[in-house]
Amino acid sequence: MTAAAISQDDFLKFQEYFYRKTGIRFEDTKRYFVDKRLMERIGHSGSGSFREYFSKLRFEADGTELQALVNLMTVNETYFFREDYQFHCLVNSILPEIVARKKDESPIRIWALPSSSGEEAYTIAMCLIERWPGINTHDVEIISSDIDTNILTQARAGLYSSRSTMHVPESYLRKYFKKTAAGFQIDDTLRSAVEFTRVNLQDPADVKPYRNFDVIFCRNLLIYFDDVSRKQAAETFYDALRPGGFILLGHSESMSRISSLFRVRKFEDAIVYQRPGAGT
Amino acid sequence: MAFIKKTAQPRATSEDQRAVARDFDGLIRQLDHADPTARRWAARDLAGHPDASAALLARLLREDEVSVREVILTALMRIADPVAIAGLVTCLRSEDANLRNEAIEAMKSLPVAVAPIMRGLLVDSDPDVRIFAINILESLRHPDVEAWLIEVIEREPLVNVCGTAVDLLSEVGSPASHDAIQRLKARFASEPYIQFAAALALKRIAPVPDGRQ
Repeated sequence: MTAAAISQDDFLKFQEYFYRKTGIRFEDTKRYFVDKRLMERIGHSGSGSFREYFSKLRFEADGTELQALVNLMTVNETYFFREDYQFHCLVNSILPEIVARKKDESPIRIWALPSSSGEEAYTIAMCLIERWPGINTHDVEIISSDIDTNILTQARAGLYSSRSTMHVPESYLRKYFKKTAAGFQIDDTLRSAVEFTRVNLQDPADVKPYRNFDVIFCRNLLIYFDDVSRKQAAETFYDALRPGGFILLGHSESMSRISSLFRVRKFEDAIVYQRPGAGT
Repeated sequence: MAFIKKTAQPRATSEDQRAVARDFDGLIRQLDHADPTARRWAARDLAGHPDASAALLARLLREDEVSVREVILTALMRIADPVAIAGLVTCLRSEDANLRNEAIEAMKSLPVAVAPIMRGLLVDSDPDVRIFAINILESLRHPDVEAWLIEVIEREPLVNVCGTAVDLLSEVGSPASHDAIQRLKARFASEPYIQFAAALALKRIAPVPDGRQ
């Protein structure tokens, strides 16, 4: 294959298709990023041209090639304790409020997405153990999801670089990680605390089982979506949350600009969004 | 007490409404379900059915629950076929201010679908619709926005409509708007607001190449 193999028309065709499948739209400024990865998959699949590859991609019954492409096209960089103030908010304000209105013994359910390589979900688990006494009296389920199956495998393995762990407090690092030649291996207590699942937020069939959550972390994902996809995601979160449940977005994201379904809650540590209901 | 890790798929809710048929006809029926959650899910699933616009619009017009209205509008935005767009235009003519605003917000996100009808909206017989059309242009990502606004200020007879258009030109205008804004100023020489808004727009757009202002 040559670099000229992907024309502007090809790019537009791919852009539209990928958007419909994932809600992620690559603008012209991302041509280099997209072309490079498309070329890689075209070569890997043995296709002779973009047209041949695209046809394979669209009509392949099991979706394996689409998943491989998604894995390549999604951005996965994150680190432990990113935007730590939100985890303080979780243990200082959100969980106490959830516990106070809880009427049954069902577990508190937390959904973190995109999981990327697992740093956020494991950070939540560490914060609950280290900063929230309620963990001794309440069951908690942490589910973390991503569209990228390769990154989910990495998340389950729990092996991290020093860059990824640079904000982990020293005492936590000693307690929950083991330094190996390959990096920092997270311990089994935390690995067993999180369930990692594959989900495409734009696929109604994928998201339907995700219900009855008390808290959702969805940070720095919606910025990659266009307006309509952002609204769809917000509506998915609305139904995934229990009435009165909370959603935390990235610091540059605002639910108020996306949807009117949620109310703003200003806590001491952070601003979060809440599904109305349950006496709230 | 501790962390719980399920080995199965995440649990669906016990009052799951999706036990009913999820085919097109079943979803249309679900739009009238007594439970708003069921109506939301029906609207969400109907976003994948290109023929669902008419039924979604019909429900929108009688739906009171805000969360369901929002999902219906998003489904219409996703479908964005001529039926959906025509229905949103009908909403612009509604007496219900919420519905009008919802339609404006939805159409702002649909540049490709809205562009072919924009000129028609901007010369609609109802001046309110003409103003709403300019409101849509506020954040419509389309290369013709400035050209459409220039057309409005060149021929629109009503001062309120022209005022709305020139306000927006002060944000999105380029030197291409310069002469049209000057002519607007001259056409409404005795209207203080137009004089003010036009002067502001001229100040904000870059000077024309030959230095005229």
